[in-house]
Amino acid sequence: MRTDDRAASTHVTVIDPAGGSLWSVIAEYRNCGTLFWLLALRDIRLRHRQTAFGVGWAVLQPLLPMIIFGAVFSRLHVDTGGIPYPLFVFSGFALWLFIGNSVTSASAVFVNNFEMINKIYFPRAVLPLAQTAALMLDGSVAVFATLALSWWYGFGPSWTWLLLPLPGFAAAVLAMSASVAAASLTAALRDIKNAVPSLVQMWMYASPVLYPIAWIPAPLRRIAGLNPVTGLLEAFRYCLFHTAPQWSLMAQSAAAIAVLLCAAAWVFRYLESDLAERV
Amino acid sequence: MTAISLSQLSKEFELAARRPGYGTFKDLFRWRRGNPSAGGRFLALNQVSFEVQRGEVFGVIGRNGAGKSTLLKIMSRILRPTAGRVEMRGRVGSLLDVGAGFHPELTGRENIFLNAAILGLAHSEVAARFDEIVAFSGVENHLDEPVKHYSSGMHMRLAFSVAAHIEPEILLLDEVLAVGDADFQKKSMDRIERTGQRGQTVILVSHNIQTVLRLCRRALCLDQGRIVAIGEAAEVAAHYLDIGGTNQGARVYPEGPYAPGDSVARLRAVRVRNRAGDTVTSVQLDQEFGIEMHFEVLEEGAILFPSLKLYNEDWPALWATDAASESHGRPRRVGRYTEIAWVPPHLLSPGVLRVTSAVHSFRPFREHFVEPDTVVFHAVETPGGARGEYLGSIESATRPLLPWTVEYQKAPES
Repeated sequence: MRTDDRAASTHVTVIDPAGGSLWSVIAEYRNCGTLFWLLALRDIRLRHRQTAFGVGWAVLQPLLPMIIFGAVFSRLHVDTGGIPYPLFVFSGFALWLFIGNSVTSASAVFVNNFEMINKIYFPRAVLPLAQTAALMLDGSVAVFATLALSWWYGFGPSWTWLLLPLPGFAAAVLAMSASVAAASLTAALRDIKNAVPSLVQMWMYASPVLYPIAWIPAPLRRIAGLNPVTGLLEAFRYCLFHTAPQWSLMAQSAAAIAVLLCAAAWVFRYLESDLAERV
Repeated sequence: MTAISLSQLSKEFELAARRPGYGTFKDLFRWRRGNPSAGGRFLALNQVSFEVQRGEVFGVIGRNGAGKSTLLKIMSRILRPTAGRVEMRGRVGSLLDVGAGFHPELTGRENIFLNAAILGLAHSEVAARFDEIVAFSGVENHLDEPVKHYSSGMHMRLAFSVAAHIEPEILLLDEVLAVGDADFQKKSMDRIERTGQRGQTVILVSHNIQTVLRLCRRALCLDQGRIVAIGEAAEVAAHYLDIGGTNQGARVYPEGPYAPGDSVARLRAVRVRNRAGDTVTSVQLDQEFGIEMHFEVLEEGAILFPSLKLYNEDWPALWATDAASESHGRPRRVGRYTEIAWVPPHLLSPGVLRVTSAVHSFRPFREHFVEPDTVVFHAVETPGGARGEYLGSIESATRPLLPWTVEYQKAPES
């Protein structure tokens, strides 16, 4: 959308039914960094304005389930491979909440911003992407809280902590893909808005947030990584606690994330053309 | 140099019953079963092609639903066309509505940066123009309040200010000048006039003819998605006012007893003409024109008083008789008469004018014919009239350009 002032006179905009070529679209998104950060900052500011705890909610959100599930399940003596169960739950929620909250809040983003979409052009996917970026702040705070808690429980610091940016990056890619897909599909089919909270909850229970992978029935366990969150949680906990890594699960999940990314891009491209008419 | 070119641009909408936006699972299943009968299709734009040169301020006029806003939304990439192609050379900025891209919870300051980013400006570029934007908008004192506390006027001033200061090579404006007080309107109009001079291209959509005539040299008129007129703004404006009208400029009545009249006088034809003798459907306020009445006298020695009455939309505008002519009150010979009432420049108000043509006798009083709406024509405003710099609406039947004298007395020294 934006070009350098000096180059502007040679800048040609072509509008046709097909939309721009893939390269022009990518160039467009590379040029809208300012917009991306402003929207992300806007989301952060709005979410924490007039709340008493502010960004403290990023810690409170995984803390509450940790206390509840920790109290309930401590009698079951869940075998988490030597990790105290409350810490296990906290680490699971710290990562999961970032993905789950991204999808939930992004699903309505096109519908809620219909004024903007209908009155002005900007690369549309920036809206869900910026929303996810804003949630990365909460996610990072939660991860640091997890580190503090691990240390308090006597795990680490370990050299594997330095690998944390890798699952962090994968989580960001996953959250952004899922957000863009959810936002596009919600704009196309309003029913999805009502389905998203339950789907997200089901996704959580289908992922080893509260339970170890050992609980997954054996035949499913071999392909459990096809749920990208499974491998992501494995990688995350490996980095945190230096447990035995499940390489095949992580590889499966990495592939699943790549597939989801392409699928989200395709769904978005397909539905974007008449977005202003749909919302 | 061509800045904007559109070729064969069409946009088709699906009507409400099948609009995808209201899609639910239920609809999806119905659709799958192959029942697309509900709703229909609607061509909002039908093969629209035109070109705009660099530096032009180009007007788009038309009635509600003619396709103006769809056209601008496609050009600003909010909607995708169904067919056709648009090519624009230069950075494109658009201002389609007041406060688009403003977030009610954020302050004016935050919104300036957000809005400018959406319009395509980098942070540093906004920072450089920030003071200018604020000064132009006149909302200095409310910069750190959330814009939800702003009045609609403040909203609009800020939005226009941002859009005007990003200085894109192509600026698309939709009805934005309709809001705001007269002072701000003047500032905005001046700004748009100057953008044209600076080599920037402006597309201005409006259904305010006066605005278009003032700012644009060329324009086009849309009706039901098609271009029905394109060219000189005054001509296009006249065409716009014509849509749906009849008896434009001239009307000829059939020979014989079906024409209005009686055994003494009978109407033959009426037309609006210029000095050169051409029939016209629109007249510019700064030009003289004539209303020509052609009638037949059937009785030798009749003393007749022809008259014309002009009505605009709200009231009678002008009364014209032959009272000043030498044939007034004199017996006439049998035969055909052509009489022309010459209307001087700078007399009428702009708008649609309908002409009633009549011929009476007075002793005894007798109405030979009074024919309403014999012709309809349009008076089109031009710069340099009695309006001067004033931009608001002028509610008067006529708008003569009068000679004013000004006397000045020095204030008494105390």
